[in-house]
Amino acid sequence: MMSVAGVSISWAVLAPIVALSAGGLLIMLVDLVSRSASKTVLYSIGIVSCVASFLALVPLYGHTETTLAGAFASDRFSWAFDVLLLLTLAITLVLSSLRKAEDGGSPGSYAALLVFCTIGGMVMAGANNLIIIFLGIEQLSLSLYVLAGTGFPREASQEAALKYVLLGSLASGFLIFGSALLYGSAGGVGLAALHSAAVSGGTLFIAGFALFLVGLAFKLALAPFHTWVPDVYEGSPLAVTGYMAVAVKVAAFAVLARIAYEVFGQDSFALVPLWSVAILSMLVGNLGAIRQRNLKRLLGYSSIAQAGYMVVALAGVQQSGLNTLLFYLFAYALTSLGAFGVMALLGDGTDAYADLDAYKGLHFRRPWPAAAMALFFFSLAGIPATAGFYGKLLLLQQGFLAGPWGIALAVTLVAGTLVSFYVYGKVVWDMYSYVEGEAAAPSGNAFAPWVAVAAGAVGTIVFGILPQTFTALHL
Amino acid sequence: MLIDTVIFLPLLTALVLLLIPRAATSVQKGVALAGALLTFAFSLAFLSLGPNVAADQTIPWISGPWVAAYHVRVDALRLFFVLLTTLVSVACIWAAFSYAHAQRLRGYLCLLLAFETTLLGLFTAADLLLFYLYWDLMLIPVFLLLTGFADHPGARQAAWSYLIYNGAGGLALLLGIVALVSQSHTFELGTLALRLTGPAEAWIFIAFALAFLIKTPAFPFHSWMPPTYTSAPPPVVAMVSGVQSKAGLFAMLAFALPLFPHAAHAFALPLLVLAVASVVYGAIAAMGEQDMKTLVAFSSLSHLGLVWLAFFAFDITSVSAGILMLVSHGLIAAALFLLLGFIEERVGTRDLSRFGGLAEKAPRLGVMMLIAAMAALGLPGLSGFAGEFLILIGSWQTQPVFTSIALVAVVLACVYMLKLLQGTMHGPVRVPDERTVSEMRPREAWLLAPLLAGIIFLGVWPGWFNDRTPSGTGANTIVGAVLAEPGQR
Repeated sequence: MMSVAGVSISWAVLAPIVALSAGGLLIMLVDLVSRSASKTVLYSIGIVSCVASFLALVPLYGHTETTLAGAFASDRFSWAFDVLLLLTLAITLVLSSLRKAEDGGSPGSYAALLVFCTIGGMVMAGANNLIIIFLGIEQLSLSLYVLAGTGFPREASQEAALKYVLLGSLASGFLIFGSALLYGSAGGVGLAALHSAAVSGGTLFIAGFALFLVGLAFKLALAPFHTWVPDVYEGSPLAVTGYMAVAVKVAAFAVLARIAYEVFGQDSFALVPLWSVAILSMLVGNLGAIRQRNLKRLLGYSSIAQAGYMVVALAGVQQSGLNTLLFYLFAYALTSLGAFGVMALLGDGTDAYADLDAYKGLHFRRPWPAAAMALFFFSLAGIPATAGFYGKLLLLQQGFLAGPWGIALAVTLVAGTLVSFYVYGKVVWDMYSYVEGEAAAPSGNAFAPWVAVAAGAVGTIVFGILPQTFTALHL
Repeated sequence: MLIDTVIFLPLLTALVLLLIPRAATSVQKGVALAGALLTFAFSLAFLSLGPNVAADQTIPWISGPWVAAYHVRVDALRLFFVLLTTLVSVACIWAAFSYAHAQRLRGYLCLLLAFETTLLGLFTAADLLLFYLYWDLMLIPVFLLLTGFADHPGARQAAWSYLIYNGAGGLALLLGIVALVSQSHTFELGTLALRLTGPAEAWIFIAFALAFLIKTPAFPFHSWMPPTYTSAPPPVVAMVSGVQSKAGLFAMLAFALPLFPHAAHAFALPLLVLAVASVVYGAIAAMGEQDMKTLVAFSSLSHLGLVWLAFFAFDITSVSAGILMLVSHGLIAAALFLLLGFIEERVGTRDLSRFGGLAEKAPRLGVMMLIAAMAALGLPGLSGFAGEFLILIGSWQTQPVFTSIALVAVVLACVYMLKLLQGTMHGPVRVPDERTVSEMRPREAWLLAPLLAGIIFLGVWPGWFNDRTPSGTGANTIVGAVLAEPGQR
């Protein structure tokens, strides 16, 4: 424990972030000093710093503490989110090893940006006041804007980066303006101060929260603030899209859940605007996905719908809702990363297998990747014996525990799921359709993506059949 | 242990098949058939294990936020559904040997075996979560079989109507289950009897009933059925129609009726209307049909409508006859669809107006078709008669009006079944494209023989069957729970 300018700092609490930052800086340094450093070395440093950060997390397990004058918290909740973010980073780095020189950008800056992005997410997971929340979000977003453009030899990647940065800055504007109004109404930036403001209500608070929610909904890709998703998902490099689909959602849900629980507590009626955007997201995401013929866009729409589902976990603002949210996020992360892993595996890191036409008859050429992809899509659709199914079961229960709005959410979730049977079933249908004499699109078979695929498949099945194992982890 | 063996042996066989090279088709056939036969042999052991509960096994599964157990059992209600599944599966897997695409045979057999495991899991599940797991998982093998392993050009489209319809039913069921469990916090049937009342019970019952009506199917939720039954390969449709179509009615008896007795009695009238509508509509549609597979599909709709009538007449005779009818229909439908597959293979068409008189060329095929068709139209001495007759006797006691209407439709069964039999077998020999019609191969005859033997056995000695079902064994808990007016409880 040391003190800087009268503010005590618990380095143990910050250690995971410090470890990861050191890794990121080391990557930049090595890249700078040794121009010839191979990408393997740079990515390995990234993975090692993931492990170091995880080791720094281990002693914090089951430990509740705030530091920096209450601005940053370490608790059971942030711990689980940190683990998930580190897992996502590690898998993304593994998938990124398929990047080639002609994809553009130096591997050093690419890997460092991924690491810094994750730091932003970890800051968000522990953020206990509006300033830290904003810092985390900006750290995450700024890194991602650049990452979206790291495929710059392709125009689509430039377009994605530009769209993301323009719309993203607008959202940040909402976020900071909302924060300012919230500060004005509460007289402080801490979430505890906001809680008392929420209890007394007031126009200033409502306006501030509404603006804040708009900004956050943009990051979560909740409809109607989702318009950036399909283009950015399609244009970004494959591994970045996979990372974006998972990490941003995880970090933004950490913020949303903390606000829902700390600021609003049991008063879930105040969150009606949130329930409304969730319902809209489930519909827009699933209906929008129907016509997509590009798998990255399809998964983009799917992530909109999934974000809508996840809001249902908060519907009752009950303690069990947090467990539900965590379970669903883990299930979603494993499933999504697995699906992007299959895409990277078949396309050898390129977007060759982003086109759904490439999947026609895949089962009869490459049965195992096809089976893995089918498993991930069944999980996203919520077919039993997958983690996605059990997650949905938990979500529906939260809905039914939460009164009329919760039931409305649950019913919409089920309706959206029915539409998604078509969306996800279409991919499986393509893969298992026997196409006579079709010229087979060449498919890769590198080792690295198998890591992501295997991790995703094992997690999806084990958490699906034995959900108790997840509970046993006590995340 | 026995029960686990029976449930998972087919799946295990499927996994073993994956290890066999794609080209070694004869090995694959041997392994698949051996797996199916062994499963059947093991399941026969349930018959000797005592009258009420042959097997019951509970393993704790989930403890929070709700309780669920891996609870499987074979009792008087479930026994014959298990036997039906294992028997029909043997015939279907054997019939699949004539599948034309050697490269795809392995996947085909694997999916059929996986399908068998989901069906067996469904019929043995005594825990609501486990039941739902299999209920939805059943969709996957059939969807994939229709998508990648059927030759009929319509099959890939039919896969969609199958998936979306049954998926919708499954999701309705899921909503009902979650609504139920969010109050009870347990999936265990034994402790689930929380005796809901009022609108909650009604809504949950509607959700359950909707899923079961779609799965069976019953009018007006049947529109997925004709395309699926018509375009699916014969072994697949024999399993779907012979076994899977029993899932809804089985679940009605095993889950919905004991859980929601008030709602079941309150909604009896609309369900009886749907039942009789299915009986009549199915019969009339079958009479006008020229495609032989679609004809049998509609006859299925009609026959299973009769079982809905049997259950919701709430009479002890009709409910237990309904179980007999389900098993009997399973054998008859599987036999008929396999036979139609053999016929289509020989004449290359399903259009009754384009061929006929096959009995002259293939007398054994003619005899087997005769037995199956006569059983379907309810000839005394065959299983169809025993089921229908007892249902009508029973339901007449409580629902004379609906029973009279259904009786008319049962008579119509003679019209469409004789049309099918005469159209395919009798009259002058007509075969399109100068094809030569061969007599049944020994494999085809042997795989059908057990099904036909079952039909004759149940027809001659329904009492043997009745002694082993809930009404006969004195295990009246299920049937009793169904019959008792809620007020007297």
